[in-house]
Amino acid sequence: MAVQNAAHPIPAARSGATAAEWKPRRYPRWTTVVRHVILALFAALILFPIVWVLLLSVKSLPDAYQNEIWPTQFEFVHYGQALSQIATLPQNFLNSVLVTTATVIITTVCAVAAGYALVHLRTPGKAVVVGLLVASMFFPTRVTAIISIWELQKELGLINKVWGLIFPYVTLSLALSVFIMRGMFETVPKELADAAKIDGAGPVRMLLQIMLPLVANGIVVVIIVNFVTAWGEYLLATTLMNDLSQKTLPVVLASASGGMGAWVWPRLAAVYVMAVLPGLLAFGIAQRWYMKGLQEGALKA
Amino acid sequence: MATVATPNGPRTARRGGFFGEGWVSWLFLLPTIVFFIGWQLWPIFRVGWISFTDYEFLNTRDPVNWVGLQNFREALTDPLLRTGLLRAAGFTALFLPGMIFIPMFLAVLIDRIRNPKLATFYRLVLLIPSMIPGPLIFLLWRWMYDLYIGPINYFLVDVFGWFDIYTQPQWIGNPQLVFPALAGMEWWWGLGYHTMFFLAGLATIPKDFFDAARVDGANEWRMFWDVTFPRLLPIILVLVVLRFGTAMAVIDEYLIMGGVNRDRPTYTWTVYMWELAFQRPPRDLGYAASIGWIGTIAMLVVVAVMFRLFRSRD
Repeated sequence: MAVQNAAHPIPAARSGATAAEWKPRRYPRWTTVVRHVILALFAALILFPIVWVLLLSVKSLPDAYQNEIWPTQFEFVHYGQALSQIATLPQNFLNSVLVTTATVIITTVCAVAAGYALVHLRTPGKAVVVGLLVASMFFPTRVTAIISIWELQKELGLINKVWGLIFPYVTLSLALSVFIMRGMFETVPKELADAAKIDGAGPVRMLLQIMLPLVANGIVVVIIVNFVTAWGEYLLATTLMNDLSQKTLPVVLASASGGMGAWVWPRLAAVYVMAVLPGLLAFGIAQRWYMKGLQEGALKA
Repeated sequence: MATVATPNGPRTARRGGFFGEGWVSWLFLLPTIVFFIGWQLWPIFRVGWISFTDYEFLNTRDPVNWVGLQNFREALTDPLLRTGLLRAAGFTALFLPGMIFIPMFLAVLIDRIRNPKLATFYRLVLLIPSMIPGPLIFLLWRWMYDLYIGPINYFLVDVFGWFDIYTQPQWIGNPQLVFPALAGMEWWWGLGYHTMFFLAGLATIPKDFFDAARVDGANEWRMFWDVTFPRLLPIILVLVVLRFGTAMAVIDEYLIMGGVNRDRPTYTWTVYMWELAFQRPPRDLGYAASIGWIGTIAMLVVVAVMFRLFRSRD
């Protein structure tokens, strides 16, 4: 340790150092420049498709078919036109909102309760529950079992009923959500739980009044994870819903061929932006807690 | 056990048993367990059952019979299943390296950024795609690769003039290009998310290590291989196992980009299963289920072997 600390004030101790390096550096080293150039390039690569589709949604029709990235004439009518001229679109939007909201709320409640029980309550048979949940994360249930999920939904009379999607959707990220919450509850000291117990707090009160604020960042992560899963789910939605009015947004968008009839390209892009932007804005607002939640224990899951 | 439950008395005495706190705990777990059993365990068990029957959904004349291993015997000699598995493996082989090494490279770069504001900015921008649901990513890239409206070919043809409209690359339509095109899309999607894993790993390396190595005259390249890479290896191995599973069982991408055309490379075992079960009369659910199981088991066996190998390494 002492050797390393001593090395700091004398950077010239490095091999090949010249007298110029004795001075504190004013200009960034060329490796730093290269590093920023590469990172900026990747950032641009990430942003480009999103910016492109945003611009496409506000291009005038001739501009859209000219392919120029920057339009000569902006037109903001496509958003309104998409909602008024594509017959079932408002309904499809509502379907997605309904299914996603319900899925997020149910899964979050399940995961918070389960994570709390697994960490802070004595649970006989805990190993079995944890083992099954872990195993399920490696199993592609949504693909392998799509046949029997379809059959189950049919027996329950949920084919072509959009709210029926909520049931399979809850399980899509359920195991992951439980583990995220378990990781978060493990960061809450046992002593706190014991102290609350001595004060006479029952398990429900302990969870709601004492623990919940402490695991809030993990809840944000769970909400975001489940929002992303449910909002864009395609395979189940396209398999279990037949009527156009019962379909969710991603299925409708995927079956729309661009440039045909009501789906002119800028309009298609406008629907896309409406589908993606709410999530991105919510992420922008929640990113502070999301990052914290990831660091505090969610990544361990 | 003789004490009868009275409102205040024996609660403490019985704590920990199934009828003490354990009972409360299971109450908290109940909603999770209901959904888990109902829409996960039961469907898996049930699709296993179906795979041993001759259940054809559109065939209402014949009763459903238990046929034992017949579906599996038939499937194992089915050339379409073999092609489907090989195609999935081919995509996985293309998909995995970029999904792991590009994020690792970026994480090493970001980890050295001294300016905290810039470091946060890069992280946030890279994370944007992971906030967009998968199928919406696939749609966006279907348009990116589009021959008429897509900006990629706009650059290649109109801006750089490297191709004309007859020679332009048909990203989705050309069987040779569709997997690289899909892999590029997946890399774009997973870049930020996987970079976060590596950044978490890099954060555990004490900075003294680098200083010590620098004093010893090691250059960046040596430092990466001697100090950084061994510390990141466990993360790499975990991601290899996880993403191998993801890539082998891909289906949404293939359906959105390729449909159910049997000649296209995107027609893998997952699409084959889905087409047999839901599209192609007589909707042979039994045979489709056996296809799904063979693909899934093949994938899980490789995952288990990798687990074994990697565990002995640590």
